[in-house]
Amino acid sequence: MKVLVPVKRVIDYNVKARVKADGSGVDLANVKMSMNPFDEISVEQAVRMKEAGTATEIVIVSIGPAAAQETIRTALAMGGDRGILVKTDQTVEPLAVAKILKIITEQEGADIVILGKQAIDDDSNQTGQMLAALLGRSQATFASEVKIEGGKAEVTREVDGGLQTIRVNLPTVITVDLRLNEPRYASLPNIMKARKKPIDEKTPEDYGVDITPRLKVLKTTEPPVRTAGVKVESVQELVAKLRNEAGVI
Amino acid sequence: MDYQLTDEQRIIVDTLRKFMREEILPLEDKLDPDAGDLEPEDKARLVAKVRDMGFYGLGIPPEFGGPDLDTTTQTLMAMEMTQHRAGLYNPAYGVFGGAGLAQLFEATDAQKEKYLYPTLRGEKSTFFGLTEPSGGSDPARAIQTRAVRDGEDWVLNGSKIFISGADRADFGLIFARTDSDKGRGGVTCFIVDVPSPGFYVRRVVHTLRSTRYATEIQIENLRVPDSNILGEVNKGFAIANDRLTRQRIPYAAGCVGVAIKAQEMAIEYCKIRNTFGGPLASRQSIQWMIVDNELDIRTARYLCLDAAQKADRGEEFRTEAAMAKLVGSEAGGRVVDRAMQIFGGYGMTKDFPFERWYREMRIRRIGEGPSEVQRLVIARDIIGGAFH
Ligand SMILES: Cc1cc2nc3c(=O)[nH]c(=O)nc-3n(C[C@H](O)[C@H](O)[C@H](O)COP(=O)(O)OP(=O)(O)OC[C@H]3O[C@@H](n4cnc5c(N)ncnc54)[C@H](O)[C@@H]3O)c2cc1C
Repeated sequence: MKVLVPVKRVIDYNVKARVKADGSGVDLANVKMSMNPFDEISVEQAVRMKEAGTATEIVIVSIGPAAAQETIRTALAMGGDRGILVKTDQTVEPLAVAKILKIITEQEGADIVILGKQAIDDDSNQTGQMLAALLGRSQATFASEVKIEGGKAEVTREVDGGLQTIRVNLPTVITVDLRLNEPRYASLPNIMKARKKPIDEKTPEDYGVDITPRLKVLKTTEPPVRTAGVKVESVQELVAKLRNEAGVI
Repeated sequence: MDYQLTDEQRIIVDTLRKFMREEILPLEDKLDPDAGDLEPEDKARLVAKVRDMGFYGLGIPPEFGGPDLDTTTQTLMAMEMTQHRAGLYNPAYGVFGGAGLAQLFEATDAQKEKYLYPTLRGEKSTFFGLTEPSGGSDPARAIQTRAVRDGEDWVLNGSKIFISGADRADFGLIFARTDSDKGRGGVTCFIVDVPSPGFYVRRVVHTLRSTRYATEIQIENLRVPDSNILGEVNKGFAIANDRLTRQRIPYAAGCVGVAIKAQEMAIEYCKIRNTFGGPLASRQSIQWMIVDNELDIRTARYLCLDAAQKADRGEEFRTEAAMAKLVGSEAGGRVVDRAMQIFGGYGMTKDFPFERWYREMRIRRIGEGPSEVQRLVIARDIIGGAFH
């Protein structure tokens, strides 16, 4: 069974993001970039499936600038088999990503596509669902447990207020949540092996996908600064404030 | 220089950074600010993890089971592993293992069996006994401890000072004079078991370091068998010196790692701390401290990598290693000092790692060859020996 794992190069989760002075977006100059943390979880899931004998090949794909090659290489060091870099310096919106991934999934004949449920830069949470729709496949999103058996996937999903377990037919699209697994540290032998694993270079044009942005960013702002709290003298005052000022009771 | 990392180096550095962030820092947060070690069970768990990752035994040559990494990669790693409170003298709390006494790689097979392998397995701890009360800057001339042959044995008499960890060691190296030659030609290196009759740790010498104190050693009619000579008679100083040269690169890289962390914290803090109606970051005098920090860090980092690359190419790197050691330790001290100034009163507290770095960084200008001796080495190399 072939597994396709898309990975995105994003601002490192440990970096404090700063908005550009003109409000057009987040300042990425001289900022540390890493693999989207949810995608690390996807890669880990695929590698575990290969170790368990469920998966036979793991193909890593990234759509982005030349430097996204590094992100692919990192995934290969974790256990991916080969990579595809779809190179572009443009912003690629979820729909365009899904369109490119659709073609790659079909060309590769991938049985399962495992994606992060969202990327921590734009938090869109759309690509996996769009991809499933374009492919006309089942989808199992927000996975916190995945079992593959007899041509089906049993997936436990993190939904509002609890867990939901569903069974979907293969081929399918899975998006992963935080609690699915703890991604491994790449080992030194695997880091060295990753060097020799092939990465194919493509462009969006190769797939005939028009990636021109459909969305327009009007404004980007810093999150509001938390305002200082107040001390109340008595329970009565607290209740009064909750009722009259906060309006929560 | 924007030193371009290879893909492998970048992944290794990223992996290490994540390991430090997720495994070491949360544990350190719960330790006493002066703690020297992790809880034994935490350490064992992390050592197992590092072994699985294939990184255990940093600095040990691959033929002895260490990871196959060049000096440059190890230098980059040292700059990551030191970025925490105890990092200067105990990077990552030792969970990556280490070579201990690199001199033992030159040992005879029997000596390797008895001393080297148990050390590499982490079963035996060691000391390195070179410095004497008569002076450490020029040990070749200053060594007064004498060894005299008596049958199959040598009999040693003398004293050593500032020897780290001798009170907890299972064995160590003692350098002693075996010839009337007053200089480097008359020094021999002996492997000494602890305890041994005639070997006394007289006292612990407390220093600026929070833990891992130095000791003073008294040697009285200590008998060491001829088979415990490391290398050859009268050729011991070269053994000491080779280690001192190689050691300078990671030693300097450690200072750079701490400086990088201090700078990162200072930059973050100066943006959020407001005085006189504005953030510290808006004041030119503070900006210049940050700029000077950056210059210090980049200069030192460049010199470390330059020395490491020369070493990797098999070229002579003594001058470069001395430059890295000199600039790394001095620049590191300045950066920590400026960061503390930016943090004001908080910089003085044990709530932050600065005060520990400040104390421990000071030793770096003395240990492994003081700044003056590094300058002397550099001068000798660039002006020529005749004027020394
Ligand atoms: C915490 C700690 C741990 C240590 N651990 C060990 C250890 O494990 N094993 C070990 O063998 N040693 C160890 N040392 C010893 C250390 O290497 C020596 O302290 C160091 O080499 C300096 O020697 P010294 O103290 O005798 O100073 P001296 O040699 O007396 O020098 C005094 C000062 O004069 C300067 N100076 C010397 N010669 C010249 C010159 N020609 N021109 C200008 N200036 C000069 C020196 O740079 C220094 O600043 C340790 C020291 C410390 C503080």
